[in-house]
Amino acid sequence: MESRLIKWALGGFTALIVVFLYAPFAVLAILSFQTGPEGGPQFPIVAWSVYWYKHLFGLTPPSRIAPLPIESALARSLTLAVMTMIVSTVLGVMAAQAFRTRFKGAGLVFYLIILGMMVPGVLIGLGMALLANTIGLDRHWWSTAFALHVVYTFPFAFLVMLAIFNRFDASVEEASWSLGVSPARTFRKVTFPLIFPGVLSAMLFAFTLSYDEFSRTLFTSGRELTLPLAIYGTFSVEIHPNIFAFGVLTTLFSFALLAIYAILMALSVRRARRLMIQEEA
Amino acid sequence: MTTAIVSDAIESPAAAAQQTRRRVVYWLIAPGVLWMLIFLVLPMAMMIYVSFWTQTTFKIEPILTTRSWVAFFTSETYLDALWTTIRIWLIVLGATLLVGYPTALFIGLFVRNKTLQTALLVVCVIPFWTSFLIRVLAWRPMLGTEGAVNILLMKAGLISQPIEALLYTDLSVIIGMTQIYCVFMVGPIAFMLSRIDPTIIEAARDLGAGFWRIFRTIILPLSMPGVVVGAIFVSVMVLGEFATSAALSGRKVNLLGNIIVTQVGSLRWSFAAVVGVVLTIIMGAAVSILLRVVDLRREL
Amino acid sequence: MSAGVLQITGLTKRYGGAVALDDVSLDIPRDCYVSLLGPSGSGKTVLLRVIAGFEEPDAGTIEFAGRPIVAAPVYNRGIGFVFQNFALFPHLSVEENVAFGLKNRAGATLGKSEIRDRVRAMIELVGLAGLEARGVHQISGGQRQRVALARTLVTEPPLVLLDEPLGALDANLRTRIRAELRMIRERLGVTFLHVTGSESEALAIGDRVIVLDRGRVVQFDDPDTLFERPASARVARFLNCYNLFGGAVAGASFQSDAGEFPLPRGPCPPRGFYGVRYDRIAVAPRAEKSGADQVSLTAAFVASEFTGPSLLSFFKLASGQIVEVETPLGDRAPPQYELGEAYALSWRRDGARVFA
Repeated sequence: MESRLIKWALGGFTALIVVFLYAPFAVLAILSFQTGPEGGPQFPIVAWSVYWYKHLFGLTPPSRIAPLPIESALARSLTLAVMTMIVSTVLGVMAAQAFRTRFKGAGLVFYLIILGMMVPGVLIGLGMALLANTIGLDRHWWSTAFALHVVYTFPFAFLVMLAIFNRFDASVEEASWSLGVSPARTFRKVTFPLIFPGVLSAMLFAFTLSYDEFSRTLFTSGRELTLPLAIYGTFSVEIHPNIFAFGVLTTLFSFALLAIYAILMALSVRRARRLMIQEEA
Repeated sequence: MTTAIVSDAIESPAAAAQQTRRRVVYWLIAPGVLWMLIFLVLPMAMMIYVSFWTQTTFKIEPILTTRSWVAFFTSETYLDALWTTIRIWLIVLGATLLVGYPTALFIGLFVRNKTLQTALLVVCVIPFWTSFLIRVLAWRPMLGTEGAVNILLMKAGLISQPIEALLYTDLSVIIGMTQIYCVFMVGPIAFMLSRIDPTIIEAARDLGAGFWRIFRTIILPLSMPGVVVGAIFVSVMVLGEFATSAALSGRKVNLLGNIIVTQVGSLRWSFAAVVGVVLTIIMGAAVSILLRVVDLRREL
Repeated sequence: MSAGVLQITGLTKRYGGAVALDDVSLDIPRDCYVSLLGPSGSGKTVLLRVIAGFEEPDAGTIEFAGRPIVAAPVYNRGIGFVFQNFALFPHLSVEENVAFGLKNRAGATLGKSEIRDRVRAMIELVGLAGLEARGVHQISGGQRQRVALARTLVTEPPLVLLDEPLGALDANLRTRIRAELRMIRERLGVTFLHVTGSESEALAIGDRVIVLDRGRVVQFDDPDTLFERPASARVARFLNCYNLFGGAVAGASFQSDAGEFPLPRGPCPPRGFYGVRYDRIAVAPRAEKSGADQVSLTAAFVASEFTGPSLLSFFKLASGQIVEVETPLGDRAPPQYELGEAYALSWRRDGARVFA
């Protein structure tokens, strides 16, 4: 049957693409086990070892290869990501709540917010650097870069919350008001608990985007680098397999976090389903 | 009607409530709008303004001139970069579409089980959890003359000499970018395709339509919003690119993004601003053309 | 001060160009079950939502328990509301749902143990004892209905608005819960204003019935008055129990396509519809003579429906119009009619009415 053939063809194509997607990761995972400190970040594998993993944690004898300048950069990236996550999620929830009613200029505001994710990082980084220079403001990761991180992640949080509110049944809010509960209290006790999973995903999204953010931060973080910038700094200098080891570890870490999240979700869903009982009225 | 309306000052309760609601909305939307105006619109406006400033060797002055603009459009290097940027953008857009659409077709349309669908999409997204820069770096040992691809091809006996052109060329940049950005095509398209009611396709098949007919008249049009969203994402990212080309082309491929970075490095701000404005115009043109294809706000 | 719990005067609401409520004025009595009946689009849900405060009118006043409330926000009105989809709080248990209003409402709150006692008592009253700890997804539709009711009743509102509360339930559940709603209301002595699109439900459940049509109140009576004397042909048609023949009065009779009928006693509008209720018609073989004050019509049998307690039969007139007859059965077997045979349909002259 015609579509059967097509299904298999497409399936095969998809499998190839998946291989294509994973190829770099596979390569860097393999290379992370390169021997050190002489082994370089290319084939062939001189010998298999976990030298570079040890090197990351400073557990190897000192060699001419400097450890990755990541400690303080890592702390900065994490702090910046948390700050961004909080601010952009708050802005996203507020904006999505506003969009539950029609108002004049809604279209304009919508596109203004979406613009934030449509402007390439280089451009807005450049603009911000120019602005800071002109008004004599110093560039820091916690001021200028932070502002741009929020500009970038706020639209994503906004869209996630828009989708959540779209599916939200407002009659529970009306029910709460009819019971004599004020709108503010209704938001705290009814609306927020129900949109919380959405808020959580918006926060996760914003955190992830900010943590790996690079082009916007390049011109605006000042002298103290975030993690991606520190890694970028090693581009022009020699690269060593320690960076691949770092990549493998961070990927596994993200994978573990998401696996835990998925398992928790599956457990709670299964629990709710088991307790559902159909009875006579 | 004998309803007593006392004076003009008393509005109908509906109008009064409307007023209060509007005020609440404006308070809710104000912080976000303000943030975007100050930290998005203002920097962009600044960039346009500075592009007209006078550039001396290491300083710029707010004396308006079009000198930097002229310098850009009369220089062959920069026009070359402009052309390269557009070229690479269109090629990568095409490549991601080529790679992403059939994949999305498979995941969104042919995989009926929702959990399997999500699982497949997650499988496609997992590579993203490795930092973007590290992934870019990983392409080097893949494409070099002693890289993984060449080794595999030689082992398989398909070639006798390693292919030189894989690294430090246009091709390496294109391959790298396609791999990194094709997920942004697969996601939106798969999403739109999964929303197609399967009974429509069944009905068409019952009426005797073959696969290509069904594809042309039903599947393709319904997937267009996804294609447009994916195209916008990919375009935005590719046009703003500089890291992939820096890492994979050994400075041979010079995109506008690269020029901005190097100009800023030499503190030639107003020239960088000119390049920035040119890039913005290209981006604006690209996005508005793409948005014409589909009315996004309605679909969202 | 009026004796009623709610007085509405001149309520008007427009959506763009369309009028949803047109100068509605009502006086809702205390301690009474009032049904609000009307076809879809009649404005009954809009009226309910305006009374509750979810929407505001363009003109008019509302007085509740002596206070004007048309400018008051929802949470200050003190009027209960039961939603068609129940609108239970999905993240709270049954007991927490019922206790929500008492725990979170503005103003003086009660002590924890007092709240718990009241909540438990109400849960028992609505028949949900033992389900306090369940989540709202773990109970059936009928049970959710009761939670919605308990949740609002526990805050002791003098007036409770119910928006098609039985609409989401299965048909046989509906009749059972109808009776329970009446019992609970009577026990508590509050007023229920119950919106429904079903005429049988409105007649069965209400002590008084308001009929709304295209945003206007067209009748406000008790059920038997409504059934016996609908205010207009439109209301009669909506009640779905009248055969209506259009025409005009000529002398002492009513002229219509179906034939000429002697006028019933009492005032009649000059033109309109001659109506006779389904259950007032007797069916007899054509040859039989009708009594002195009987009106008779010949029609051919088309089809019949057995409902259990009665038989609905359909007859076609020469003019093509279908006449419906409802014959209650009691101990008798359902009569059998021949398809296409002509029968004599007859009713008492004064049992018919002429409507405008």
